[in-house]
Amino acid sequence: MSASALTVCLECDLLNRQVPLPQGGEARCSRCGSHLYRRSSPDANDRSLALALAACMLLVVANVFPIMGLEVQGVRSSTTLLDAVRSLWNDKAYGVAALVFLTTIIVPAAELIAIVWVLISLRRGARGQGAVPMLHFIERVKAWGMVEVFVLGVLVSLVKLTHIAIVEPGLALFSFGALMMLIAATAASFDADRAWTQLEELR
Amino acid sequence: MSTAPTAVGLGLLACEVCRLVSRAPPPGNDAHCPRCGVTLHARKPASLARTWAFLIASMILYAPANFLPIMDTSSLFGTQSDTILSGVAFLWTSGSWVLAALVFFASIMVPLTKVIALAVLAASVQMRATWHPRTRTRLYRLIASAGRWSMLDIYVVTILVALVQISTLASIHVGPGAAAFGAVVVLTMFAAESFDPRLIWDILGEEP
Amino acid sequence: MTPHRRWSLQLVWLIPIVAALTGGWLAVKAVLDRGPTITISFSTAEGLEPEKTRVKYHSVDIGRVTGVAFSEDRKSVVASVELSMQTEAFLVADTRFWVVRPRLTGTQISGLGTLLSGAYIGMDVGSSTESRRKFAGLDVPPIVTVDLPGRHFRLHADDLGSLDVGSPVYFRRVQVGSVVAYELDKDGAGVQLRIFINAPNDRHVKADTRFWNASGVDLSLDASGIRLNTESIASMLVGGVAFQTPGESAQTPPVQGNPNFTLYPDRGKAMRLPDAAEETYQLIFDESVRGLSVGAPVDFRGVVVGEVAAIDVDVDSTSGDTRIPVEVRLYPDRLRGKSKQAAAANGVLVGKLVANGMRAQLRSGSLLTGQLFVALDFFPDSPKASVLNRGGRVEIPTRASSLLELQRTLSRLANKLDKLPIEATASDLRKSLKAFESTLSATERAVTRIDKDLTPQAARTLADLSHALTKVEQGLDGLAGDNAPIQTDVRETLREISRAAEALRNLADFLERNPGAILRGRVEEHAQ
Repeated sequence: MSASALTVCLECDLLNRQVPLPQGGEARCSRCGSHLYRRSSPDANDRSLALALAACMLLVVANVFPIMGLEVQGVRSSTTLLDAVRSLWNDKAYGVAALVFLTTIIVPAAELIAIVWVLISLRRGARGQGAVPMLHFIERVKAWGMVEVFVLGVLVSLVKLTHIAIVEPGLALFSFGALMMLIAATAASFDADRAWTQLEELR
Repeated sequence: MSTAPTAVGLGLLACEVCRLVSRAPPPGNDAHCPRCGVTLHARKPASLARTWAFLIASMILYAPANFLPIMDTSSLFGTQSDTILSGVAFLWTSGSWVLAALVFFASIMVPLTKVIALAVLAASVQMRATWHPRTRTRLYRLIASAGRWSMLDIYVVTILVALVQISTLASIHVGPGAAAFGAVVVLTMFAAESFDPRLIWDILGEEP
Repeated sequence: MTPHRRWSLQLVWLIPIVAALTGGWLAVKAVLDRGPTITISFSTAEGLEPEKTRVKYHSVDIGRVTGVAFSEDRKSVVASVELSMQTEAFLVADTRFWVVRPRLTGTQISGLGTLLSGAYIGMDVGSSTESRRKFAGLDVPPIVTVDLPGRHFRLHADDLGSLDVGSPVYFRRVQVGSVVAYELDKDGAGVQLRIFINAPNDRHVKADTRFWNASGVDLSLDASGIRLNTESIASMLVGGVAFQTPGESAQTPPVQGNPNFTLYPDRGKAMRLPDAAEETYQLIFDESVRGLSVGAPVDFRGVVVGEVAAIDVDVDSTSGDTRIPVEVRLYPDRLRGKSKQAAAANGVLVGKLVANGMRAQLRSGSLLTGQLFVALDFFPDSPKASVLNRGGRVEIPTRASSLLELQRTLSRLANKLDKLPIEATASDLRKSLKAFESTLSATERAVTRIDKDLTPQAARTLADLSHALTKVEQGLDGLAGDNAPIQTDVRETLREISRAAEALRNLADFLERNPGAILRGRVEEHAQ
């Protein structure tokens, strides 16, 4: 089928012929340079699964433990991410609270869970009826997971607060840092195209 | 080659979710991707209109986002309201130049650039401009990926509000500017998502 | 190729494994690190915030309040508190908890730091061995925490005075402890107090230490005069207890056990040495005893040898006589002083003294208050008497008080004055005054006449007068020297008149100052 040997660039609509790529290579649109496809390693799925699982666990740890502790005049205060969202909500900033909650907890968690689900389904070779909507979801929601921006925001506020008080970085801070890297690694190693292809073969 | 083979030109549709190339149905019928079931569109529906709508909305909210305070600091000595700009100024004057530059870039430059760039892109398509399509596409790619970083200030405020709650000594509360700013970020992200960069190339292909 | 792949694959799986292990270890640690959870019930949740309020022991943070809820009967508030692990051993039956808030009491200001940092829960570890998880919080911080070294003592007082829990205890005006608790006696006859004196000052409490209520200002206005005594400003405001050991020597060992001390109302009563012997006598006074109160001292030449025990009125129903018997308690030991004579039989010493002329007399102790006291003194001029035994009670003969004598002398003087021919003198004086008066009016008439005649003949009379005056002058000159007989006479007469006038003036002044002198005459020297 000639169609499968062709890829369409999503940014300039150009038809590109698919060429075989070396290991780890990336194909780009000849006209606009947009990413087309890549050749991921055969164990990319396993790798992604491992990373995604690790990220899930880190996400739990990052939300249970406090991000930072503050001490001023002998008064101590510390917060977890959920506490922070609750503070925002209590301050009547409902929109901001919802936004932060979505972008730092819901979306990253959902994305990771979806990836894990898909990869496990693929691993088991099951038909995985839910895998399709999951992949769909992953694609749609990719832009809305902002853990790395959050980590930077925490660091900025940490520096801002050290001027006026004694700040103690909490366990969650490091967890979020590690989580940020793991999410990036997962995204880098997770090959959606391959997943689609494999899903198709399973049907 | 003035006529590059485009999918639409050849009656093909690319699924934006799973990238599967399928044959376009006869006009008037809705096509669904055989792999993922999503409705197939040749171009993002009402791309320009939606982009403009989101852009204008975010431009309207941009002023209150910057003039309304995003954070109120109350202490024994009184209440002090901070806007994004005054927060940057505070960082600068207290010696954290790097942070000041960072926050300035993320919270002021990025949204502004985003809005302006998207406006330029949308206008260029609207006006059927043919200059530098590749650059414009690259610009679009950049905007789409970098937009999330303007959320930085919102997260900073979140942490500060959560931590500094020592009622008598000092307490920080969210101001109305934060909601406006959050809305600006969300709207610009929607605007970027609505814009279809293929339109840029379509105009090139149309030249007589 | 394949082994390489497998190796990198294995490596990847390390990551979630590590993540899982870390997460698991953290979870386990969090659970293990969790210390005991207790509940403390308080009357109010003021200052208690879940997840914020800390629990501190010796200023070390050992836990936090996790939740605040109503008790089942909705009458109190139950705080759930999570403590750190090391506090396991502290949670015994008599451990106490209280909320530290800013507090201002009369003797101390505490907890001001909590205005800024928020209230916290303080803890005092008990010494019991029985472990406990449900506590009842105190409403006020305990005065004394269990681990402060020192001793508790019990005092018994007639009334609480102005003492309260927390009132200071002083030794030599230094605060060494405080009142910890008080309660009424079961039979309501007094108040039982418990005080705490901190170490090492508790060793100053010996078996014969006296405690007294040093509250407020000890102002006494009595027969001995005015005395003002105070321990400290604090004790003036909130009351206090002071103690001292009479005749103290450092060698006396501190008191053992848990004896019950008496709390005396003031220092004087506390430090009074116990008297071995006590004798009761009766005194009959003929005069008013107004100003004499029970407890007034019986004084022998300045030394207090006893006190008034009771004052009665004795009406003889048959004869209608009234007497005022005053019962006094004497301590003959004091009369004897430091002499080492063997204790005489009851009344022997007093009897001897009476035989020698000792009498009891009422005297004014304080002019300000009009208080009287009983004075025992020797009156050599008193009629012979001895200690009487009337109606079962031993009586010491009395003597009229000097005030009474003064009254009697005054009445005598008054009688004398009465007898003086004042009337006659007065009428004579009046006659002279009348003559004087007529002279004056005549002179006045003459002057008026002169005036009238002067008007028509003004100039002439004046000229004549001046002539006459010149003539008189000449005549006077003619009469020459200062020693002219007429002049001398005139001068003499003038002098007489001036003396008389002066005497009159003096009399007038004196009468003005001492109006009673008309009656008494000049009695100042007499009364001495």
